[in-house]
Amino acid sequence: MLFNSLDFAFFLPLVFSLYWLFHKSIKIQNIILLIASYYFYSCWDWRFLSLIVISTIVDYSVGLSLSKEESQKKRKALLWLSIIVNLGFLGFFKYYNFFIEQFIQSFALFGVAIKGNSLNIILPVGISFYTFQTMSYTIDVYRKKIKATKDFIAFSSFVSFFPQLVAGPIERASNLLPQFSLKRRFNRAEGVAGMQQILWGLFKKVVIADNCAEIANLIFNNSTEYSGSVLVLGALFFTFQIYGDFSGYSDIAIGTARLFGFKLMKNFSFPYFSRDIAEFWRRWHISLSSWFRDYVYIPLGGSRVSKRKNIRNVFIVFIVSGFWHGANWTFIFWGALNAVFFVPLLLTDNNRNYLEIVAKGRLFPNIKELLSIGLTFLLTMIAWVFFRAETLGHAWSYLKGVCSSSLFIMPNFEGYIQSVICIILLVFLMVLEWFGREGDFAIDHITKSQSRLKRWLLYAFLIFLIGMYIPTNENAFIYFQF
Amino acid sequence: MKSFVKHSIAFLGFSSLIYLILIFVWGSVMPVWLNNNLIYKQRGGHLHSRLAELNKHQNVDVLFLGSSHAYRGFDTRIFKESGIHSFNLGSSSQAPVQSLLLLKKHIDNLQPKKIIFEVCPQSLSSDGIESALDIISNGKIDFQSIKMAIDLNHIKVYNTLIYSSIRQLLNFDQDFVEEQHIGKDIYISGGYVQRDDVQFEYKSPLEKNINPEQMVAFKELVSWVKSKDIDLILVQAPVTTTEYHSYADNTGFDKLMQDYSSYYNFNTLITLDDSLHFYDPHHLNQLGVETFNNELIDLLID
Repeated sequence: MLFNSLDFAFFLPLVFSLYWLFHKSIKIQNIILLIASYYFYSCWDWRFLSLIVISTIVDYSVGLSLSKEESQKKRKALLWLSIIVNLGFLGFFKYYNFFIEQFIQSFALFGVAIKGNSLNIILPVGISFYTFQTMSYTIDVYRKKIKATKDFIAFSSFVSFFPQLVAGPIERASNLLPQFSLKRRFNRAEGVAGMQQILWGLFKKVVIADNCAEIANLIFNNSTEYSGSVLVLGALFFTFQIYGDFSGYSDIAIGTARLFGFKLMKNFSFPYFSRDIAEFWRRWHISLSSWFRDYVYIPLGGSRVSKRKNIRNVFIVFIVSGFWHGANWTFIFWGALNAVFFVPLLLTDNNRNYLEIVAKGRLFPNIKELLSIGLTFLLTMIAWVFFRAETLGHAWSYLKGVCSSSLFIMPNFEGYIQSVICIILLVFLMVLEWFGREGDFAIDHITKSQSRLKRWLLYAFLIFLIGMYIPTNENAFIYFQF
Repeated sequence: MKSFVKHSIAFLGFSSLIYLILIFVWGSVMPVWLNNNLIYKQRGGHLHSRLAELNKHQNVDVLFLGSSHAYRGFDTRIFKESGIHSFNLGSSSQAPVQSLLLLKKHIDNLQPKKIIFEVCPQSLSSDGIESALDIISNGKIDFQSIKMAIDLNHIKVYNTLIYSSIRQLLNFDQDFVEEQHIGKDIYISGGYVQRDDVQFEYKSPLEKNINPEQMVAFKELVSWVKSKDIDLILVQAPVTTTEYHSYADNTGFDKLMQDYSSYYNFNTLITLDDSLHFYDPHHLNQLGVETFNNELIDLLID
């Protein structure tokens, strides 16, 4: 079931009504959420629900055992049990074929032919997200940062919470799990904010991302046929497609959770206004970046080691992060490329220059800020080419096509009119994002001090744009494949 | 919670009103290429002209129904020369759902003795959107059109229905007269659209899988026409040889059609030259139409 589907438009009000009907009992509310979440997930493939159930049972039991166990050796064994089960599922479903192919190709390099059977494996939706979420629970219990829960229903609801089950934000148990044990009261302001955020997310997904996707797909799928200027458009549209798609999903997820009285972590914070790559990574997919920071980077020593080791740690985190996205060298290269962009900032101690949003309290940025934003945007756009391309060779030939003399000719292709429409929509998006950049999400900040009429007019206009520009094919979210 | 629900309902009403206003303003002011999901009178096919002269054609001998294969394939003048009074009610990509709607709407006026229903794998595999947009933007909006829009449940159809309804309510199209010459097409009184173009333009074939909803409408149309004691002839109009052989199962399709009524597949009954008788893989030029129609008339007279 997609957030941008008619099914969800019926599902959400139904679950919402049932949930608040039983506002006096947290237990019943959690049961309703659990059933709704399992139903939501089984709409894709009910068979894979078993993986979630197994992960839930294993991590719940490991958590309880960890809380009772004093022996460090046994605690470590329990932690490894959880990691092996969770990463085992992830490894098998997501990476098995990749490793088999690499193994065969490596031997082929030395002239040894090996017969290997790659399996026809379907990737369970959201496996990378809920695996990391449950792992954070056992790791935190192991580290004694949080106490293990005894409430199995609350824990199951935490693992499978439908708003963020399939594409995050990847929540920490320390933030989300306690919310399942607290009494929830409906708060009108939160409900309204949730609806606003859902609307904004939907706009970004169906108007921005899905329209950009049509042209980006056309150009990337036929990249050898187009001029450099058209290829630049393709990269630009993919850059906004992935932003609209993923940040749109996150907004819908966070907004939906707010309707049920839950506060999820922020996942995007206007990343395309970043002044350097370090700032970009503090604003892009925050829940994943901070997960890798807390569970990989810091345990490796983080920045409290020699510069050489620090650089190594940065590369490890970025490469693992790339690999998390998919079993393909393009993702690994994308991660490594971001590390290459990041390291100069680290070496010059400039990686924490921009902690506040650009031009805070001002209407416009200055020239230096504008240039920095432009340069950072260009670097991320280059990196996205690797992320989107089918193979590394495809990415290289794409970039080679960009750097040809045809870069300077007027783009002329069958998606030209659609591109003009997309550019108008992108300008509208970026203007709203700019004026709303000091809020949680763009329209939250813009409408804060406005009269009800003005607010409602803006929301109604967004609904109209959705109706006028929603592509007629239903498009799944990109991050579902991760 | 009460206040939240109350405000949500109020907002729903407010946003619906703004949506209607914006659809009307956007459709009227913005250039056509900016109206992604609003398709109003933008297609060829001359359905507006056809419906406008429908009252002049009562008690016809033959009524033609179907897609562009029909309105570009059955020349009512050729039938008239043989003493057959006919009317062509074909429209762009007309699928059985829309054929049924048009037929039910206009049968009392046309009172046909015989119906020739042009059938092909495309029309049975169609989602019906293009045809619905054509009918909504050219015909009068009534309960049947609204029901069709709900059945199709497609944003383009809803937007066009809203826009078209507002225009009709405000009498905006009262004086609208459709051009008889659009591009290379000439509208001929009686519903036929003529194109003399002999330059052949290749288009790649599309995959065709029968749409169950169209099949249901097709069956309903057949039994409804039979219940009215009207002769129903199913005709598959000729397409180019390459196009015809790109269809997955021609024998199966012929067998399927034969189960429902008298059926003639002119792709197997006559031999036409792709480059001489067609201007694209689907449509006959005037020379092709004359050959095809004379063969059909012979069959009808026999």
